[in-house]
Amino acid sequence: MPWSRFDREWTEPGEGRILEFKDAVREAIDQAMQLDERVFCLGLDADDRYAVYGTMKDLTHPERVMGTPISENACTGVALGLALSGMRPIHIHMRADFLPVAMDQICNYIAKWRDMFDDQCKVPLVIRAVIGRGWGCGAQHSQTLHGLFARLPGLKVVTPATPHDAKGLLLSAIRDDSPVLVLEHRWLFKNEGPVPEEIYFVPLGEGRRMREGRDLTIVANSLAAVHAMKACESEGIDADLIDPRCVKPLDLPLILGSVEKTGRLLVVDYDSPFGGFAAEILAQVAEAGPGILRAPARRLTFPDRSMPASGPLERRFYPDVQRIAEAAHRLCGDPVAAGGVG
Amino acid sequence: MTERTGIRPEQAMKMLRTMRTIRQLSERIIPLYPKDVMETPVHLCIGQEAVSAGLCIHLRDEDLMVLGHRTHGPALAKGLPLKSLVAELYGRTTGCSHARGGSMHVYDGEHGIPGSSAIVGGNIAVSVGLGLGRKLLGSEGIGVAYFGDGATDAGVFWESLNFAALKEVPVLFLCEDNGLSNVMPKSEHMFADPARIAGEFMPVYRADGTDVLSVYEEAGRAVAQVRESRGPAYLHCTTKRWMQHQGVLEDDLPYNPIDPEKDCPIVRFEEFLLRTRLATPGELAAVGEEIERDLDEAFAFAEASPYPDPEAMEV
Ligand SMILES: Cc1ncc(C[n+]2csc(CCOP(=O)(O)OP(=O)(O)O)c2C)c(N)n1
Ligand SMILES: [Mg+2]
Repeated sequence: MPWSRFDREWTEPGEGRILEFKDAVREAIDQAMQLDERVFCLGLDADDRYAVYGTMKDLTHPERVMGTPISENACTGVALGLALSGMRPIHIHMRADFLPVAMDQICNYIAKWRDMFDDQCKVPLVIRAVIGRGWGCGAQHSQTLHGLFARLPGLKVVTPATPHDAKGLLLSAIRDDSPVLVLEHRWLFKNEGPVPEEIYFVPLGEGRRMREGRDLTIVANSLAAVHAMKACESEGIDADLIDPRCVKPLDLPLILGSVEKTGRLLVVDYDSPFGGFAAEILAQVAEAGPGILRAPARRLTFPDRSMPASGPLERRFYPDVQRIAEAAHRLCGDPVAAGGVG
Repeated sequence: MTERTGIRPEQAMKMLRTMRTIRQLSERIIPLYPKDVMETPVHLCIGQEAVSAGLCIHLRDEDLMVLGHRTHGPALAKGLPLKSLVAELYGRTTGCSHARGGSMHVYDGEHGIPGSSAIVGGNIAVSVGLGLGRKLLGSEGIGVAYFGDGATDAGVFWESLNFAALKEVPVLFLCEDNGLSNVMPKSEHMFADPARIAGEFMPVYRADGTDVLSVYEEAGRAVAQVRESRGPAYLHCTTKRWMQHQGVLEDDLPYNPIDPEKDCPIVRFEEFLLRTRLATPGELAAVGEEIERDLDEAFAFAEASPYPDPEAMEV
């Protein structure tokens, strides 16, 4: 389905004002810009009429939003320079697939800058990029890449799943004095949930238990967390669902505590498998908690290939609610209904 | 319309057929697209047909070209069969990229298209490599870097110009300048005239990209320059994008006004063909009808072709 017709998939229950994910992002940026005049946004198409899927719409300070040419590598260097000169830049990308164009600046400069000079300077830089499958967009416009970027020492990687976390994590990222990459899944933008009106901060590195359960621990972030939640609700899975919220820094204690309780671990990671986020969690759990697993840990990820364009292949490439449910049942030794999406 | 008489009738008709194929394919896609039978973003080439047609008539299969995201026009002009393009748009295994590519990623090894890329800019460097490879292997072929005005924003464009000039690479840089990068007008994304600066590195040619004869002439010179010198050249074609950047709606940007007669490369060329008696009204109508039949066949082929098997995704 093209974006224009893609609708809300989930509403987070809770009290208070309800906002869409994209409006929560917008509010974080708007409030940060009002609070601190050093906050400055730049990015390709950041200032055009589509306003980055609405996340940059009607800001109080449009004069601090700068559109850029198709020069991602140079502009990422400019963003680092802005941060080093005392500003608090937010560099915005319509798609995370454009970040590899700027890999030199991200990998060789930004991630390493504080460490190379033994922390004598701050790098208060946020890179915001939209991730996720499009609609027949193929290999170059459907990537997630959070596992790749988390490999870089010095870079924090944040992946909100709910409107509440989208706002609170982005505000923390903007306040942070180190570079933070915030990856927002395009499929979450119309989801709703309670979002406080005032400024608040979700600490980077603090995960969240989305629901309590006994049979297994599911760790999932970003869109996968929402799908895991839906799988538990609709398929009667009694899982402890942990959304780490940050790929890095990773809230290992929260995950370990849960696995100690359930003895089973499924990581759902909408990214490629090799050496990725799921692999890292499995490795850390194996290291820190030998013997706490009653069954082999399992991960559900993309296949280790590029995203295909054709509809049937593309739909198969992304795990979904059904396949999460199946993986959870299998891990618990439950019979898996025949005829399910295998 | 430029008045030139040197063109041979069969070449004139070939360019017309190419332009009409690109146009009529787009016109087929427009009403079908909202039905979701083509699940892939499309970047249509309506208004820009003359650039692909006027360039590719000078190219051979051994000339290699890696395209950007706006593939349909240049790919068809270079020789990609209509039905393998349509089948790719339909996500079928018979498509030119076997259903893995979609609209932005087309492949045709036989006709010198070793792929296309939707990350703006990078294909320029790849095309320089194609040219260098042709030279190193002793082929007569050349590389062609086909890109939009937006791609000149990227460092890789300037690095590629420098490399191609320094290393004498037989590559043609073809800038299809529709004055827009998505909704951004050129004045907002590029400070200088890239063609003027390219002149510091290599011979530069300029053409009116809404006039296929202008492109035909200048591309003829530019391609000959690359073939004979075994070094680079640059051709800048200004043109107009009639549709929105992506999708099947007409463009509505106030700074991109379209005159459907004066800006139309096909209207202008057909008028020329009639005036110079290179074609009769009946012959022109026959071209259009023939293409409609080709399109019927291509769409029927695509619709009858199988989808790939999703189970093949398992690793
Ligand atoms: C590196 C990169 N940044 C941004 C984009 C998003 N994008 C796709 S096409 C496009 C505009 C390209 O303009 P131009 O090169 O003039 O080609 P045109 O679409 O006009 O043919 C943009 C910004 C991209 N694909 N790649
Ligand atoms: Mg353009």
